[in-house]
Amino acid sequence: MSAWQMTAVREMRKTRRIPPGLIWVAPALLVLATLSIYPLLYLIKVSLTDIHGFTIAHYARLFHDRSFGVAVGQTLLYASVALTLEFLLGLALALLVDSLARGRALIRVGILAPMLLPPVVAAVIWRLIYNPEFGVLNGMLRQLGFNTANLTWTSGRLTAMLSVILVDVWEWTPFFFLLLGAGLQAIPAEPIEAARVDGAGYWRTLMDVIMPLLKPTILLALLLRSMDLLRIFDQIFILTQGGPGSATETISLYIYRTAFRFSNFGYAAAMSFIALMITMLAARGLMRVMKLR
Amino acid sequence: MKTLLKYAAALLAVAMALAPIYWLVTISLKREIDQFASPPLWLGFTPTFRHYAGIFVHDAFGRYFLNSVIVSTGSTMIAIGLGLPAAYGLVRFRWPRDWARGISFWILSNRMLPPIVTIVPLFLMLRQVRLLNSLIGLILADTGLNLPFVIWMMRGFIEDLPREIEEAALLDGESRMGVLLRIVLPLVRPGLAATAVFCLIVAWNEFLFALILSQTQTAMTVPVGIAGHVTQYEIQWGAMSAAGVVAMLPVLIFAAAAQRYFVRGLSLGAIKG
Amino acid sequence: MAGRRPAPLLLSILLLAGCSRDAADKSLTIAVNAGVEGSTLKAAAHEWGELRSTRVDVVELPYANLFEKESLDLQSRTGAYDVIMLDDPWFPKLVAEGGLTQLPREPDGDFLASCLAVCRHPFGSKTFYALPYVGNSQLFFYRKDLFEKYKLGAPDRWENVLRAARTIGEREKIYGYVMRAAPGNPAVADFMPLLWAFGGDIFDARGQPNVASTEAIEALRFMIELGKSAPPGYAGFNADEVSAHLLQGTAAMSINWPAWIAAMDDPSKSKVPDKIEFAPMPSARAPGVAELGAWLLAVPVASSHRDAAFDFIYWATDARQMMQAAERGNPPTRRSVFQSPDLVKKFRAFPAQLAALEAARPRPRTPQWNEIENAFGVSLSQANSGAISPEVAMQQANREIADILDRNK
Repeated sequence: MSAWQMTAVREMRKTRRIPPGLIWVAPALLVLATLSIYPLLYLIKVSLTDIHGFTIAHYARLFHDRSFGVAVGQTLLYASVALTLEFLLGLALALLVDSLARGRALIRVGILAPMLLPPVVAAVIWRLIYNPEFGVLNGMLRQLGFNTANLTWTSGRLTAMLSVILVDVWEWTPFFFLLLGAGLQAIPAEPIEAARVDGAGYWRTLMDVIMPLLKPTILLALLLRSMDLLRIFDQIFILTQGGPGSATETISLYIYRTAFRFSNFGYAAAMSFIALMITMLAARGLMRVMKLR
Repeated sequence: MKTLLKYAAALLAVAMALAPIYWLVTISLKREIDQFASPPLWLGFTPTFRHYAGIFVHDAFGRYFLNSVIVSTGSTMIAIGLGLPAAYGLVRFRWPRDWARGISFWILSNRMLPPIVTIVPLFLMLRQVRLLNSLIGLILADTGLNLPFVIWMMRGFIEDLPREIEEAALLDGESRMGVLLRIVLPLVRPGLAATAVFCLIVAWNEFLFALILSQTQTAMTVPVGIAGHVTQYEIQWGAMSAAGVVAMLPVLIFAAAAQRYFVRGLSLGAIKG
Repeated sequence: MAGRRPAPLLLSILLLAGCSRDAADKSLTIAVNAGVEGSTLKAAAHEWGELRSTRVDVVELPYANLFEKESLDLQSRTGAYDVIMLDDPWFPKLVAEGGLTQLPREPDGDFLASCLAVCRHPFGSKTFYALPYVGNSQLFFYRKDLFEKYKLGAPDRWENVLRAARTIGEREKIYGYVMRAAPGNPAVADFMPLLWAFGGDIFDARGQPNVASTEAIEALRFMIELGKSAPPGYAGFNADEVSAHLLQGTAAMSINWPAWIAAMDDPSKSKVPDKIEFAPMPSARAPGVAELGAWLLAVPVASSHRDAAFDFIYWATDARQMMQAAERGNPPTRRSVFQSPDLVKKFRAFPAQLAALEAARPRPRTPQWNEIENAFGVSLSQANSGAISPEVAMQQANREIADILDRNK
């Protein structure tokens, strides 16, 4: 037997029922349990209570609360548009940079910068840029001769969602760029060589050889990012606080408003629980993908 | 020719990524009249450091900065102090059935909790133990964010180590804790450092907990301070942008230090690139 | 790295974290609005702090976040703030939860009755829970130079306002009118004078929601009509956009608050100094009534420095301090200050402000005002941006207000 196995047997004999590793893990588990299990239990309790006692009224209200439906819809809209744009741009950039001979590292650093900023700072940057009177975006458009009178970006009902999504795309395309870039580098050279020898053109090689090999990475990146998109809060809070009206109000912002502006903690708790279920669905998908690795 | 186009496209991408950041820096250095100049001034303005002086003198920004440093380092250290042994325990010990995997995935699922879900119970919990509006309270909250990440990442790094070295040490009579501290730790140091950097960044950027759990300057962190500048009547551009620049510098510096492990950290260890 | 000796470093960090808790005995923490009104209180607070050798911590927060923090603090009795500055519509909610301390002595008679009215709980009784600090009531701002140029009569009736807005809009290259209709507080604030002038109100005599009445819908239709002379995107405007337009000279009229008067005449901020006149609200079928927006000072029940807190708020609202605050741009709540000859000379709008303030009407005194204002404001904004018709908007609002009241019975 190896030394390892001997140690293991020794330890198994010592404590038959309790796994020896538990002591190592226990403190961390305890802290996590306090910071997540207890709050969850509390959340469920609050969601089933109102001023009169036990009730399922909060959950019932969810079904015909138009604002909640709107918030869910807007979150899904935000998530899907942002995800698609970030993925496509990130993939294009990853392919582009991968094919460059020199200067890759420097270019990569440049492209990565937006992702590192605190989301609050990114939001501040774009608030300045989007300002209709004095912001640089409208300033440049005016220089090019456009009439910016109707382009109010974050204050416009139609443009607000677009403006907010754009900020997310600017900030998080580097995420896909980085992950997909790493995935590309991990692809062995032989299949690509083989395709070239067979006379396949660029697009052929891309679609038939590279993409299938990249699929696990793509899936991972998509799932990771969607989970973060579903619970988006920081940037939108700074950019529009959910406005104008509720044009950019996502689930997190609606819960925030319900809890802290209207002090409806019970209803906010019920919504949070539902939001948690939705996120957990995405998370399970993610974990299944990761188990395959 | 094709190469030229490719480089042009790549440089365009870099420009689009960096231009807004550059704009923020210029606004923070411009006098008010220049900030609102039309057409916008990209270069060729007289710089002033008034806004930076302003936020530190008038707005207690120095306090926010110190608070952020304390909260980031504190939560990172606790997360590592608890998480490293936990990761070791999960990887190097025998567990009945599939416990190790189950526990690991439960730990990972904590990372996916939307903060809005735990914020109200956390608020009430901290109030109960009189840790509201305190840095310790914030450190606890952020530890909850960082701990799962540390465990998950270090799991991967420890798994990558060959067992022989540890086995040899165990044969020599070394205790488990000794093995962890004297053998494993030096070997995973780069990965640990990178994980620590990620934790620092997460805690530094954290907004919702800091917003709700702080009530006065005692506990307000940098992101909260920045949000406070977005007022109803005037948008204090100089102060806001100066604060933004100060807020992002540490993160950019930290990130430079952890470059090598970016992909691993962002993909939660799934991609070793 | 932290591999070798993490313990001392960690300990010192935790110590630092622990030390930064407020332990001082003689200290006062004040929560103020991040804006014009809050900065004067901030200045007064520092003065008082020096007089009493007490450390003063001022927490400045934007309007919406100020409410959140104060509401949370009062509800959970955390005692983080010793003095809070609150907008009068928040008062019913904050006081209903028992979070405010009753005043130890009644405010004197120099305070304007309309300002004191919103400090009483229950409404109309003799018990006070706050002192009025800033006496705001809306005024009608208009470019008298343009009115003279086009020989337009005074804007004393809303029909005249509409006509004038159209005329100016056509003849000059500016917008005849500007208003804010961002969902929530902005839209409601600019709508109330219209609603009241057309004879409507949010609640009827029995306390039931009444915004779907014919008068209310008429008022909303008028608002949308007026909006055609306003800059596009006004359905997303807040106070700063409105004032920016007036200051830049790109709009000719608006409802606004006296806090902006100083800026209008300040050449470093305004392109049209001395060209703007301030008048009471225009009338329609009912006399013009302005919305009251007073900032109050109160002491939370959970504060551990209540005596010092009360000392401060009585001091800050006495005649002398209020004169100083008025000099700094805060409209006062005392008659003597409004009528002081020096100030009247300096602030040409004071007589108009006093008249408007005495006649001003507060918003409905309901603890659910925040939610109601939000629901109402969303519908108003949607109607103004053209998303839904005025009838649908008002019916929607009426239903939602009724729901809100039901849920909280």
